[in-house]
Order: sequence, then structure tokens, then C-alpha cells
Amino acid sequence: MVRASLVRACVLVVGGGLASGSISVAAGNPAGGGGNPAAAPGRSWPADEMPLPLAVHTPQDLAVKAVAERQYLIFNLLAGGKLAYDAGNFAGAAAKWEALLRIPRLDPEVERVMRPLADDARARAGGSPSSPGPLPAPVAEDEQPEVTPPDSTAKAPPRGAAVSVSGTVSGGGNLGPGGTVIWLKRADGHTPRPAPARGKVISQRNKTFLPHVLAVPVGTTVDFRNEDDIFHNVFSLSRPNDFDTGLYRQGTSYTQTFRKAGMVQILCNIHASMLGYVYVVDSPYYAQADANGAFKIKNVPPGEYELETWNEASMHPTKQRLTVGPEGVRSLVLKVSGDKAAPTTLPDKSGKPRQAHLGY
Amino acid sequence: MLSGLGALLLATAARAQAPLALPQAPMPPPDDSAADDGGLVDAGNDSAGYTPPAPAPAESALHIDGYVDVGFAKAQGNGTSFPRQDIAVPADYGVDTFAPAVNARGDVASTDPGDGRFLNGFLPRSAGIGGNASFLLNTLDLDLRYQRPGTPLMIFSRVQFLPRLSAAGDAGRFLVEQAFGRLMPFDRQELSISVGKFDSVFGIEYLDNEAPIRTGVTPSLAARYTTGQSIGAKVFYRLQLGAIGSAVSINAAATNSGNMVESLQAPDASVTGGPVVSARLGYELNLRPFQLKLGGSALHGPRNDQRDRKAMQKMAGGDLRLFVAGVALSGEYVRVDEDEGSGPKLTNLGTFPLASGFHARAWWGQLGYALAIDTSSLQKVTPYVRYEWRHAWFDGFVPITVDRLVGGLRLDLWDALIIKGEVLINRERAGAPNVPNNVYTSSVVYQW
Repeated sequence: MVRASLVRACVLVVGGGLASGSISVAAGNPAGGGGNPAAAPGRSWPADEMPLPLAVHTPQDLAVKAVAERQYLIFNLLAGGKLAYDAGNFAGAAAKWEALLRIPRLDPEVERVMRPLADDARARAGGSPSSPGPLPAPVAEDEQPEVTPPDSTAKAPPRGAAVSVSGTVSGGGNLGPGGTVIWLKRADGHTPRPAPARGKVISQRNKTFLPHVLAVPVGTTVDFRNEDDIFHNVFSLSRPNDFDTGLYRQGTSYTQTFRKAGMVQILCNIHASMLGYVYVVDSPYYAQADANGAFKIKNVPPGEYELETWNEASMHPTKQRLTVGPEGVRSLVLKVSGDKAAPTTLPDKSGKPRQAHLGY
Repeated sequence: MLSGLGALLLATAARAQAPLALPQAPMPPPDDSAADDGGLVDAGNDSAGYTPPAPAPAESALHIDGYVDVGFAKAQGNGTSFPRQDIAVPADYGVDTFAPAVNARGDVASTDPGDGRFLNGFLPRSAGIGGNASFLLNTLDLDLRYQRPGTPLMIFSRVQFLPRLSAAGDAGRFLVEQAFGRLMPFDRQELSISVGKFDSVFGIEYLDNEAPIRTGVTPSLAARYTTGQSIGAKVFYRLQLGAIGSAVSINAAATNSGNMVESLQAPDASVTGGPVVSARLGYELNLRPFQLKLGGSALHGPRNDQRDRKAMQKMAGGDLRLFVAGVALSGEYVRVDEDEGSGPKLTNLGTFPLASGFHARAWWGQLGYALAIDTSSLQKVTPYVRYEWRHAWFDGFVPITVDRLVGGLRLDLWDALIIKGEVLINRERAGAPNVPNNVYTSSVVYQW
């Protein structure tokens, strides 16, 4: 029954033409049979697609899908790493197995078996990948390395395939392209949840917010620090990230965690001219353009993406399709509009407009 | 070794509950799938934020803003609030004692009852539409602001074009509503000193003078006493008492005339040569759950419209603003007393032979709820209601009491466009006959 299930799964995953190869995974002979998906030109292990195309109509469906996807992911990383290993792609094998070991609440048995294999693959990745050697013997029970609990905010695994997307933004009207937030969302799968950024600070100095625009991933906590000799307040009416710090004096700070994606306009209830922005992105692949509009997004896995931008001078965020190939994307040219005038009236925390330039 | 991994794969597959619809036409592998299962990915991207470079001294010193306010209004009756042949008021206040406003400036639909009777009443400006429904170009506003970066001096002017029609024809005009210089000498103190023509310092309704700022379409019944501009000098100072979440402030002015609106003022030159002094003391309590602002205002000086310096105007008032849980409550009480003048009355609408003593007591309260909408176009919806009451009399004449119920809706779109609709139900409660003078009005404001 167990074997039958595995065979069925693998056959469906790789398609009928690769059935023997799929079976060989379960049989412990991954390099034999009708082909090696990991080694075949133009083909690669195809079962990584997430999320699974399972219909969800009820909460039960959703629960089933979540369980299935977890197990599916574990299986794919296990088997995909094995295929890569057997094909001599030790870096690929190491990447998949190391990724496997980062999955939270992983079965200790999987951990015990796979960690030495991942270490071996990583060690071999530094040598010649052309002649696959035998897999190392399992580590004895009493020789097991200490298991490190999965770090849910760990760095992404080393990935040979990860590339960068860079380019230049133009436009933005009188304000220019500086500060434009650029981020990528997967168009062909699930966009990973970003790890919160650390050490993010917005200061109130000389009655201004510094920096004026800050891009952060979802879940990031920003420290608002009053560096003026006067009291300040920071508030936002931008739902669902609205907040109010109350008054606080020089040298003190207030932390606010931004849990939802989107633009957050930040204001001071005391000083009507103070204006800044936090832009919260729900992707680990983001950047902010410098004063010249240049930007670079690092460690982007190749694939299909929706590239989105936000600029405070643009009426609407932009969105466009972007294919990221194995070489990444360089010299991307983006343009943001400058059709949104700087607000002449800023609200107080009751939402009532104020004439900032008149001080009330 | 192989058997160990094979067994692991088998076991893993067994947990996967085989009968799943797996992809038939798989896509190329995204390598980030490794972290999909509840893990958080740090791709090494980071942002230190962006702050625009400081502009060169010669740059960005001049700012040009403005707005245009157009509307559509319909007033009941003939557009006035005065019954024909009424003689309950003195000759210097011939008619239109309680004309209902149709726009943000307080203009009324008409001051002409149609029988050629002498008209000035409380001296409202007329939009000239009578009892007909009509589009209005209420205000075309241009603001010029000059301030070199890093300097404490700002120069500001607000010029407005007000196209109007009257029974006599074109009554459009340009108005220099404000023109002043403001000095903020200390970075660490909230102190500003302004000289020129500027807003009133009395009460809180002057804060709402402009159409983009005002929650609703029309001003209150008390606005004609408190929201006018005049020429002189003013000082604002606020002291934060952060330890108790509070602040106190004073806004004081010495000007050539009081706070009556434009039509009730004499021309900009000082009539008496004596100053009118006014001030507001304010207290703010800024806590996270709510915000409370209280104020007390006073004014004293010669009447705006008299050369006789002994004929005084005196005003006192109190105001309140409370914001809690998205609901904004505001209100104001105003008391006005003007001595009888000995000479002719000089106003922005002309010279009149008499200047009766005048007294008014008025208050208003407004409740609004600003509902933020999370769309790129419609950003905020604000329904509001306001109640106003005014009791006023000329010396020797019967007091007249009126009230007004106002309800409306404001929509804020794209940070630049505001659409408002409002209904005003006017009632003559005592001292004057009922007149059909309810108003349905609307306003579309585009600001740049």
C-alpha cells in the first residue's frame, strides 16, 4: 500500500514518460531507467510547484491542502535532492536538503537521516560534481550531531539559482524616482513570506521624519525615535496599519510592528507639516531606489513574477510581468508616474484636514 | 545507506495521503519553495530608507497651491430668508436676517426678494441664484508661499476669484483673503509671529474657512462673527506638557478690525485707527484613546463699521473638540455685543446711515465620523450632522431666534478631489415668521 502510493504520486508528478525514473526513486536506483529529470537538458525536477492545485471549498479542504502541501514539500525536497545528488549536482542536492532541514517541526527521523547527507553534499559541492560517489553511511545513533531547532527567520539557503534583478526607475514628477519601492511577487507560485527586517528606525529630527520613506517586509517592527528637543507624536490613519504613539519626549522611542502590506502614511498630531511613509511589502524580494532611481533586488529565484512599484508621487502603484531567467535581470528600466501632487492638507488624528503650511 | 533513504521516502510518501491531485504539467522549479512551509525567507534584501536630498537654497522656495470649488445648490422660496414687507428690523438691517448659506463662503442664494426693497440685512454676500437651482463657481483659490529652505521666515498670500451675479449684474470680484509674513524664530519652541492680513484667532471655525478643509459645505450661523480676516500682527505660542499628555497655547492678535466676515467688515483700511485685540487660550489633551481640545476666546475693540471709537464690539466664546474611536465632536459658543454707533455705518457693501446696537448669542455642535476606505480612489467617507442655534436682536427690537439642522456626506478621493452634499433645514423659532428657506447644496473641490 505504501509503495503503491509512492509510485502513484511520482508517476503523476513527472508524467507518464518518466514513470520508470520515478519508480526508481522509491526503489533506490534514481539514476537508472528512462531518464533523469534533474540531469536532462531543459528539464528539472518538476514536482516543486506550490501551492498544489487542490480545490478548496471548505475549511476542511483547506486543512487537507495544508497538510498535503507540507508532506508534498518534504517529499519533493527529499527526492529532488537525491536525484540531484545522483546526477552529480551536489550543490543542488545540498540546497534542497538544507532547505528540507529548515522546515519547522521536521520529523526527527528525517532530520537524523538527512543531516549527514546534506553535509556530505555540501562538502562535495566544493569538489568535482561530475562523478557521483556513494552516499555516506548513516551516522550511528550515538554519533548524531546536535539537532538545531529550525530557525524560522534564518537566511535563505545558499542557492546557485538565485539571481538579482536590478535597474533604474525614472519619473516620479518633481520628487523624482528616489525612494520608489520595488518588489516582486511570484506569478507562477507562492511568494515566500519575508522575514522581518531588524533594526529599523525612523527618527523625528528637526520636525521631519528620517528617513522620509522606508520600505520594510511584513512583520517588521520600526522604532520611532524622538531626537528633537520637543515632544512629538506619530500616528497613522492608514488602515489596517493605523496606530498612534501618543506623546513622547526627546530621547525616547516607540515601537510599532507593521503586520499588513501596503502604504502607511505617518504624521505628527502636533506638527502639521510632518509627513513620512512606511511601505510594507509582503515579499522577501524588494528594494528601494536611490536618489538616481537605481535599485537592486538580491537572491531572486528564477521564475515568473509580478513586479510592483510604489512612489509617493504616483497616483497608483504599478504592476507588470517580469520573467527572471537564470542570469537574472539587469538594466531593467521602470517608470513611475508623477501624477499625484504633494498633499496640501494633512489630517490630524481625527482625520480632519489641516493646513500644514499655515501651522494649523 | 540507500535503503535508509528509500525507507524515508516511502514513509514520507505514505504520510502524504496519496490520493491528491498532483500537477499534470509541472512548471520549472522555484528554488525558494524550500521556505514555503511556514518558514520566513530572508533573501538578504534590505532598505535603509530614503530621504530626499535637501533642496538647494534657490530651489523649492516658492510653492503654488490652490483649489477650485464648484457647486450645485437649490434654495426654497425666492432664495432669501426674509418675508416680504417685514418691518421687524431697523433700517440699517433691512432684510435677510437669517439667510441660509449655500456655499463654503456663507453666500446666500439671494438677498433680493424681488420687490425692489432696500436690502442688506446681516449683509450676506449673494450667490445670485434666487430660488432657482444652479451651478455655482464658489471660489477659485491660489496660494503662493515663499520660504527659503532652512530659513524661519515664510511669506504667504491667498488670492481668490469669486464670480458672482446680482440683480444689478456682474458682482464677481478678486479677494486678497490673506497676505502675511510669518517668523518662527526658534527651532525648539513653537512660537510664530505673523504680520499682515491673516485669519482670525477667535474660536475654531476659522480653521475651516476653506472649502477643502471644511467637513461640510456651509459654515455655521456663528461663522459670520468669528471667521473674518483682518490686518495686523499676531503671535502664537504652544507649550507641550508631555508628561501629562497635554499642551497649552495662546493665539493673540491686534488688528485693524474684528472677526466679522468680509461683508460685515469695513474696507481693509482701519476705520477708527484703534486696534481690536483678540485672543484664544487653548488646552489640548492628547492621549492615545482620545484627544480633547478646549479653548476660550475673547475680543475687544472699536466696531468695525464706525469711525466713532467709543462704539465698541465685544465678543467672548468657548470651543470644544473631542475625538474618540473615529468620532469627532466639535462645538462652539459665541457671544457678540456691539454698541450703538453714532455715525454712519461703513461696510464692504457700502455706507448706511444708522448703526444700531446689536447682540447675538449662538452655538453649534457637529458630529462626524471619518471612515477610512482602503482603496486607491475613494479614501475617506465622512457623514456628519450639525445643529446650530442663534438668538440675536437689535437694540429696541424683538429678538429673533432661529436654528438649523444640517446633515451631509463628504467623500475624499485621490488626495485631491472632494465631493460634498448637504441639506440645511432652517427654522425660525421666535420673533420672526416662518419662511421656506431650506437649502440643498453640494460642492466639488479640486485642490492642487
